[in-house]
Amino acid sequence: MSSHREAPEISKDPVADSSDLYAFVSPDDPDTVTIIANYVPMQLPASGPNFFEFGDDVLYEIHIDANGDARPDVTYQFRFRTELRNDKTFLYNTGQIKSLDDENWNRRQFFSVTKVDSHGKSTVLHSKLPCPPCNVGKISIPDYAKLAEDAVAKLKTGEKVFAGQRADAFFVDLGSIFDLGTLRPFQDKHLVGQSLFNYAGKAVNAVDKLNVHSIALQIPLHMVRRDGKKKVRATDPGAVIGVWTSASRRQVQVRQGDKKNADVEVGPQVQVSRLGNPLVNEVVIPMAQKDLFNSLEPKEDKRFSAFVEQPELAQLLPVLYPGLFDNLAALNKAKTPRADLVAVLLTGIPDGLIDGFQNTTGDTKADMLRLNTAIPPVKAPKKFGLLDGDLAGFPNGRRIEDDVVSISIKAVAGVTFALVDAKFKPDAAAGLVEQGLSIKDASAPLLKKFPFLGTPFDGFNNP
Amino acid sequence: MSRVRYRGPAGTRLNRRRVLAIAATAGVGVSVAGVAGLSLAGENEAKDDGQPLVISVRDASKGTIDIFKGGSKKTVTNKKLAAELVKAAKA
Repeated sequence: MSSHREAPEISKDPVADSSDLYAFVSPDDPDTVTIIANYVPMQLPASGPNFFEFGDDVLYEIHIDANGDARPDVTYQFRFRTELRNDKTFLYNTGQIKSLDDENWNRRQFFSVTKVDSHGKSTVLHSKLPCPPCNVGKISIPDYAKLAEDAVAKLKTGEKVFAGQRADAFFVDLGSIFDLGTLRPFQDKHLVGQSLFNYAGKAVNAVDKLNVHSIALQIPLHMVRRDGKKKVRATDPGAVIGVWTSASRRQVQVRQGDKKNADVEVGPQVQVSRLGNPLVNEVVIPMAQKDLFNSLEPKEDKRFSAFVEQPELAQLLPVLYPGLFDNLAALNKAKTPRADLVAVLLTGIPDGLIDGFQNTTGDTKADMLRLNTAIPPVKAPKKFGLLDGDLAGFPNGRRIEDDVVSISIKAVAGVTFALVDAKFKPDAAAGLVEQGLSIKDASAPLLKKFPFLGTPFDGFNNP
Repeated sequence: MSRVRYRGPAGTRLNRRRVLAIAATAGVGVSVAGVAGLSLAGENEAKDDGQPLVISVRDASKGTIDIFKGGSKKTVTNKKLAAELVKAAKA
């Protein structure tokens, strides 16, 4: 949930709130890319009688830029439709659910998949695919994993797709971070915390044992690369794709009260949520512009580049942790534009800065998750990703295991500035600082194959 | 607002309804909604006969009227029509 409730307006519209976006070369099929867009964040598993679902009135999209202009060359659209079997019951299920078409399952959701090319031509790839149910509990759903597996569809065009509830695998110590930027492992070094603690704290994963709704795609790589090549070198600009997700609603809605089936939604789609790199809108964009950011496409992001070049968080770190970030403070004082952060978040990292690696998309500044699709997956992902020499990790795309919170803090603290200015010596604390969590602090085990995110927590055992 | 489709045991849907509603926002805006059906997927927008239509008077003094239909929005300027809609909203 690197972007859950990150802006004032979308925090009131969870059905359309994109919370995390992942893009990585698939470890179960390295000739494909897996993209997962999570929505409807922070779901308590015990959520009856009305369990969570996608919005029938929301257009969900995953966009892929193949040529670096920050405009989509391929867009996958997902539209949902809910159906009731029985209008005489208050129940989600009137007995056990043992299959995706089980008569006992009262409230089901289906979705269509539409592909839009760079010329705007739309092709419906499938008009009605089933979502799995929410994980009500083991009494209602004795074999949830099997149901979810049955909901993975292979499209005739070659993509795999899944849409439905999953265990949220993000890990973040929300409680401490948004309590004046406290990192529990360093709480005794914090400006205020040093008067409260004389010991390092243990981080808490605030979003553990919560569920999300995921839209997952697995696409053959040649279908997303600019030249359609099946094999490319990592140095080839055509190896890099930019990915983001968005959610939109119709511009006009007229509610008819008791005549609910006559409600009207018309007009152009208006974007209400978008997500590329984790944490950009959350901690880089000022509060006053967060809603604006969510309404715009990445090609408009030049207007936000000043917030990346001089991030507020970089100013805060030396203040919140006195004496630990003196070199960063000097860098801040010099008002040196953070070319490293611009590269990481807005343009990609050019060839020549990191041996054997690049994920640049050119000069267009845009918040996209950039993935060099020629970098193969690794067997043992390192949680600090690229910062720890793991070329397959964030900010080269984003894997589920990547500790994007710590990576981002380290980068803002100055670790990556040394890549663009050899004279700059990062503070020792910049290399050490982290939130103190890993994927092991997310209780649900990941799947070894698509859609990778684990079985959602069930309501019976997680009341 | 999510609209749920009910499929009974025989797979039948609820009958479609047609509603005409007039709503006015305070001061300037006037909206007229004609509603037909439950089209939601947005994948058949070309078949627009009977689709909902919403007219919004954005600026009555200038006669600026937005017309929303299907997935599109068109803006026209017609002071007379805008004045009539405002008058209807006040009635």
